Amino acid sequence: MHTLSKEAFEEFIDNLIADNSLNVVGVKSKGEKFAFGPLESANQLRLDYDVTLLPPKKYFFPQRETLVTFDVASGFQAKDPKESKSNVLVGVHPYDIMALLHMDEVFRETKSDPYYLERRNSSVIIGVNIQNLTEQCFAPSMGCATVDYGYDLMLTNLGEKYAIDVGSHKGADILNKYAKNAKKAFARDIQAVGKKKMEIVNMAQQKFNFSSELIPEMLGKFYEKDSFWKDHSEECLSCGSCVLVCPTCYCFDVKDNPDLSLKKGERTRTWDGCLLEDFAKVASGENFRDTKATRYRHRYFKKGKYLFDRFGFVSCVGCGRCSSNCLPDIANPVNLFNDMYAESLKSGIEIDSVPVPDISIKTGEIIEFAPKIATIVKKVPMTANEIMFELKLDNETDLGHQPGQFVQVSVFGVGEAPFGVSSSPTKKGTFELCIRKLGNVTSKIHTLNEGDKVGIRGPFGKGFDAEFLKGKDLLFVAGGLGIVPLRSLFNYVLANRKDYGRVILLYGCKEPRELLFADEILELEDRDDVEFMSTVDWCPENEVWTSNVGVITTLIPKVDFDPQKTYAVVVGPPIMYKFVIKDLKSRNVPDDHIIVSLERRMKCGVGKCGHCQINQLYVCKDGPVFYYSDIKGVPEAL
Amino acid sequence: MKPKVAFFDFAGCEGDQLQIANLEEEILDLLGQVEVVSFREVMKEHSDDYDIAFVEGSCTRIQDEERLKQIRKNASVVVAIGSCATIGGINSLKNYQNLDAVKKTVYGEKADLFDTYLARPIDAVISVDAYVHGCPMTKEEFLHVVKSLLLGKKPDIPNYPVCVECKKNENVCAFERGEFCIGPVTRAGCNSCCVNEGTKCWGCRGLVDNPNENSQKEVLIKYGLSVDEAISKFRLYFGWEKKQ
Repeated sequence: MHTLSKEAFEEFIDNLIADNSLNVVGVKSKGEKFAFGPLESANQLRLDYDVTLLPPKKYFFPQRETLVTFDVASGFQAKDPKESKSNVLVGVHPYDIMALLHMDEVFRETKSDPYYLERRNSSVIIGVNIQNLTEQCFAPSMGCATVDYGYDLMLTNLGEKYAIDVGSHKGADILNKYAKNAKKAFARDIQAVGKKKMEIVNMAQQKFNFSSELIPEMLGKFYEKDSFWKDHSEECLSCGSCVLVCPTCYCFDVKDNPDLSLKKGERTRTWDGCLLEDFAKVASGENFRDTKATRYRHRYFKKGKYLFDRFGFVSCVGCGRCSSNCLPDIANPVNLFNDMYAESLKSGIEIDSVPVPDISIKTGEIIEFAPKIATIVKKVPMTANEIMFELKLDNETDLGHQPGQFVQVSVFGVGEAPFGVSSSPTKKGTFELCIRKLGNVTSKIHTLNEGDKVGIRGPFGKGFDAEFLKGKDLLFVAGGLGIVPLRSLFNYVLANRKDYGRVILLYGCKEPRELLFADEILELEDRDDVEFMSTVDWCPENEVWTSNVGVITTLIPKVDFDPQKTYAVVVGPPIMYKFVIKDLKSRNVPDDHIIVSLERRMKCGVGKCGHCQINQLYVCKDGPVFYYSDIKGVPEAL
Repeated sequence: MKPKVAFFDFAGCEGDQLQIANLEEEILDLLGQVEVVSFREVMKEHSDDYDIAFVEGSCTRIQDEERLKQIRKNASVVVAIGSCATIGGINSLKNYQNLDAVKKTVYGEKADLFDTYLARPIDAVISVDAYVHGCPMTKEEFLHVVKSLLLGKKPDIPNYPVCVECKKNENVCAFERGEFCIGPVTRAGCNSCCVNEGTKCWGCRGLVDNPNENSQKEVLIKYGLSVDEAISKFRLYFGWEKKQ
């Protein structure tokens, strides 16, 4: 540990500011509040601040940033993550340092975000031990009032001087290069720092009436207490303030902004929040979290349980920003958890602290935000609303997908939308997407023609395990558009027919004219190695239909199968799953023999943006294909 | 062929058309994409042959309805621009007063010569395809809507409140500065411009789809307004919606 007199400290900061290769930011006053902003001089610093309006995450994950630029003539170009200047952040409180450590895990898990990580790696964090805190702060209860790591330098105000703890080589170099007259700390200085840190822990006015280790377990016992969530969220304005000011929130939205030429533009990401009404809404209009109570509950679960299960920490650092920014004053986690604890005592619910789960985070690959260019080689109208597009990547490679995976398709200037790949990987050179006209992207794709270009990202997600299914009897159950992703596996199985047992396909749609892949289905009738049945919900008088009439479940009693040998692959609209699964279970099909594919608002495709999340799972990364046994305990799944 | 566009105004201050006239260098890029056939504020010529009609102002007389219907008939796309056209706006303040008295205030002795009825947004009379909210609308959003229409996509108008943009802009909350702000229930899209400038949100962009009005009222009261004052905060711009 070192010490710097207040004068020498100001000189240190001014020396940093004078270096043009650095972008020095620090805490300054803003009205009666505080905010991180560019420093012109050390005397602007307010290291006695209580909390900043926004956390310092804005320097690593900015409110708005360009990811990709596009030009119809030349395609998509990812922005170079390299920043021209390194950020030096002066005056970061320990809870915000802890929050950045949480964000690091999120942004590097599975696929790493190049922009966030580049900024993190090139930045210098100069922390400061808390001198004041707001009445909403509960950082001590979260164990985040002080930190022993996560900084390059950590300051403690000792009256006439600052004690400076060096936390990294980078910190040591900075101190060495820019500070003059840094002295080695005396034992009494080190003791004084220790004493200050002890004092901070006792400064908070907000406290839990229980140990914060109980949070994940307690939440688990309260998920289904609808009235508890409804009562607490009644006054919610769905304004998102609580999540937008949160230092550990990382959800985002991605949008295309064309310029007036309509041929060029940029794709930007902006902060988003799960408390906002349309957060989980998909193009068909369905909103998977359509009440204040479910959105409000999701926020607490995401912080207190889902991230705990995924990373081993409750992702709240107790900064209190959510509660000081909530106008109706319903966002205070201390109040909510204390209420929850009181209610669990009252109702005799026993809560034990759960051990931290075993965490094995895979990292390595970098997210590729720029789509590859593909050309539409064939456009075949299927029904009034669906068109089949055959696409070829311009770099002449195969898509390389597994059956059941999805791709993100970009239309210049309009945006990106996810589609399950409909062709089997055995089809080489091109791949197929069957697209229903629903929202902006799909409406625009429908106007494109053979020879036109689109962008492709992916394939993404977990598909069907075609290898594992070898030798098994397969019962395919498709409802409506569900035939589209299911066809990728079905055709794969047909291409490798001898590797599989019985193959049964049950396919239903609303009415005859909505039948997809009619030609291919007709061919099935001639095959003796595929059992096939179809149904329509109803047949209008002017249409011809000779097969079954009734919902898809009316076909299930008509097939005979051995539930132990059979794997059922079920894909259809959300409402269909419930009924089909019930019927399969009544036929003794085990839960791990039922495979489904879910549709949500997949946006980033790599488990970051949060839109497709169903409880603890990301549909884009953990799915879209799931074994029913893995999601039957996931209430938001079906 | 470039789509033909026309501008029309009803009861309003023409401040939204002024925003277009003030586009400066972007106006040239815009004219590269569309052909303006009628725009009283900047040109003499007029034609009834247009594809996109931009309509400013609210409908405040029965006679206005005929003219609006004619515009609807001529145009394949009708865009409401500015609060008066999109939500009724300031004009709807009169909806809570005696209309005869209102006429007298405005026209004095000649009040009998003029007609008036409850001020309303244009979608109370004709169907509207797109909205550019705001009082006045911003140039940025106007251009966004125009580009979206040209690309054949639905404009992306937020269904979340101004607070979202305000937080991202790291403003000190207007309530904390002792102001009474309507931002928590007002549709965003303005980049919280009024709060950025140190004042508050008046609600000129209309309510979000599902505003929690009760909670907003309680917030206003908690911070010191009376119930009547809280209601009048809503009426400045939301007068028509309150009436429905």
